[in-house]
Amino acid sequence: MRYIWLVGLREFLENARTKGFWIGIFLFPVIILVSGALPILLAKKGISTRHYVVIDQTGEFAPKVRTELGRQRTTEVEDALHDFARRDPAPRELARFIRASGSNQPLSRLDLDGWKRHAGSNYLTVSGFNPPRAAWLEVPVPKGIHPSNDVPSIEAQLRPWLRGEFTLPPSEANPSPKLFAAVIIPRGYGVGTNESASLRYWAENTADTSLRDSIQRQLSDELRRREYRSLGVDPAIIARVEARRAPITDLNPRKAEGEEKVGMADRLRQWAPSFFVYLLWVSIFAVSQMLLNSVIEEKSNRIIEVLLSSVTPGELMLGKLLGVAMTGGIMMTAWFGSIIGMALVQARIFSSAAAAGAVNPAASLPTDVLSLFQSTWLLPGFAAYFILGYIAYATIFLTIGSLCNTLKDAQNFMGPVMLVLMVPLFLMPFIPRDPNGPIATIFSWIPLYTPFVMMNRITGSPPIFDVIGTGIVLVGFDILILWGCGRIFRLAILRTGQPPRIIELFRWLRNR
Amino acid sequence: MSEPALELRNVSKYYGEFCAVNDLSLTVPRGCIYGFLGPNGAGKTTSLRMILDILRPSSGTISVLGSPSALAVRHRIGYLPEEKGLYKKMKAWAVIAYFAGLKGLSSGDARRRAFELLERYGLKDFAQAKTEALSKGMGQKVQVLASIAHDPELVILDEPFSGLDPVNQGVLEEIVTDLRARGRTVLFSTHVMAHAERLCDRLVIIGGGRRLFDGTMTEARRTLPHRVRLHTDDDPAPLRGVPGVTGLISDGPGAWQVELSEGADPQLVLRACFERAIRLRTFNAAEPSLHDVFMKLVGPSAREASFR
Repeated sequence: MRYIWLVGLREFLENARTKGFWIGIFLFPVIILVSGALPILLAKKGISTRHYVVIDQTGEFAPKVRTELGRQRTTEVEDALHDFARRDPAPRELARFIRASGSNQPLSRLDLDGWKRHAGSNYLTVSGFNPPRAAWLEVPVPKGIHPSNDVPSIEAQLRPWLRGEFTLPPSEANPSPKLFAAVIIPRGYGVGTNESASLRYWAENTADTSLRDSIQRQLSDELRRREYRSLGVDPAIIARVEARRAPITDLNPRKAEGEEKVGMADRLRQWAPSFFVYLLWVSIFAVSQMLLNSVIEEKSNRIIEVLLSSVTPGELMLGKLLGVAMTGGIMMTAWFGSIIGMALVQARIFSSAAAAGAVNPAASLPTDVLSLFQSTWLLPGFAAYFILGYIAYATIFLTIGSLCNTLKDAQNFMGPVMLVLMVPLFLMPFIPRDPNGPIATIFSWIPLYTPFVMMNRITGSPPIFDVIGTGIVLVGFDILILWGCGRIFRLAILRTGQPPRIIELFRWLRNR
Repeated sequence: MSEPALELRNVSKYYGEFCAVNDLSLTVPRGCIYGFLGPNGAGKTTSLRMILDILRPSSGTISVLGSPSALAVRHRIGYLPEEKGLYKKMKAWAVIAYFAGLKGLSSGDARRRAFELLERYGLKDFAQAKTEALSKGMGQKVQVLASIAHDPELVILDEPFSGLDPVNQGVLEEIVTDLRARGRTVLFSTHVMAHAERLCDRLVIIGGGRRLFDGTMTEARRTLPHRVRLHTDDDPAPLRGVPGVTGLISDGPGAWQVELSEGADPQLVLRACFERAIRLRTFNAAEPSLHDVFMKLVGPSAREASFR
């Protein structure tokens, strides 16, 4: 046992001394942080305001579009104000207003209408509150272009602006704004279904269609309304019909009565296993690679002979497995430690904010993560499947290493093994959708895939028979792999020259 | 202590049809330096691996320090394999300490011993260097030290001198004789006769997997007739009639070997040369070298092997 430990310790120290190990340990939390913060950062800074002109020759549609876009923009700013009100410490004026209104309602329930009445038309001007930058901004038609001209000549004049050859007057945020899009509503638009009189949307960038889609939606609504009116429908009825929305609530039968609503925590619960499977895959793969390299080093250096004059092949093999398991285990612990640590810190920040009366829906995320770790079998399951899966794959990689003298030889063996290893990744998107379906069940019973697939199913309440049965099969498989690979390892490790053929391996398995 | 350090009885090893070691028997007494000689492909490394129980013999028995398997007494054996390699990223002292630890030393003792050995054999300054930074010769010395760090009773060195410069060969010879001085047994293989000649108390010569000779240095020399080497521009044929001379062999242009019968005095040949007016440029009455013995014993089979 002491020798297994010594071999393992050396292996671990060797890996721990590499830069890759430390980069792996620290990079992961950084990636988690960045990937969490990136969308927020992008939303804030990423896209600059896009400028557009509207030329309406009918004179009827542009005001409608402007009103609607303005209303959307106001909603956007109001939402931002809403979020801002939840911030901790609570913004002064809002806090005062809420206190004055005599309610002990949390800020999240900011009574916007009340605030509007209270603050008047400047209700969006709150100290410290910066309205989000508008994604779209209508600018006046450039000088020299007359909206009443015929469409082709207007378009000819607009082209250089749209191509960026001319720039718009500088603004605060942008010294040389470019005209992003032009919307031309020609004369006779909306009369009949005349194709030639369609709206003309000009833009170099055809990928960002949000403005185009929004305008199309509004104009479609407007045209429909006109149609209704021409058919003699009461505008009040039209408004009522349009206000109608199909209500939807997501419910989950597995949850306790009264808490059936599907929330963030539930989505997390459903998708976290995929994340864990990916981690499991990455860790097993990384760790097995280390093992492969270290065996090949010892073999090509012939250090192996000295080792084998000191320890038995079995001790050597188990020692190496142990050493690399320590490496992987520490990496995993560091990763989970950082996730949990981060969640704890955030939960603390948010809970102190909540104590001060602020509630933020995003604040529940860390608590959800923590409760997910506490309440489900994810963590213990991950640990168990990591160990069992690791034994199988690491032993296979170790044996491949023992068969080869160079990494090049090893690549030949690695091909098929990699293909086998890829399968769980391909399966990953399908299993959470049907965690107890036939695909999931079949692959659960293949020992090489059990750790990944069962991990993926773990929050889908798989039948207890599957859990225990596949567990037993996996443990049996590990024992078999250790036994068989032990035999091959013992014979292969001293072999030089060409790697043996498959048929020889079977012979090695049968006799010693 | 009377039992031999190592004993092989009728040991053979087959790889499929190919016979690497054929019915090899030998006995290595304790406290001696034992040479294991043979040409390339003679079965030296295979034999050593069998002695260490890394390979199992196909037939025959091996007794190492009184045990049927080296693994049972592995802490009392040190081994340096033929192809030398070290963990590239480990420091010199750590490699020695690691192998000593695998041989049963506590980590503290192993560490102490590593520094002690590095200092004694002139590698003190490199103790903290990674082995990949060491020259080949230094790396090899580190490896030798690693194989003896646990003060083994039996040290097995496979081609320990190959790749070392003359100075370091001297250091290695010193290590080996130090071991003998402390009553340890050293078995080393080589095909450089000079080292064997200087160091060995006993030696075995194998060729084609068979034992060709086993005995002391003196016994080895006795396998060849006494001879005198001489250089002359004259015709040495008249020496044939001299009593005690059994043969005359040409050894290149102007060089000759005169074979003498057992116990004949080389001085007689010298006197005969004067009497017969054979002018000598050199006259060498040294005993046959191990090189001669080796060439005579394995020469034909080694050539054959190299063309196989």
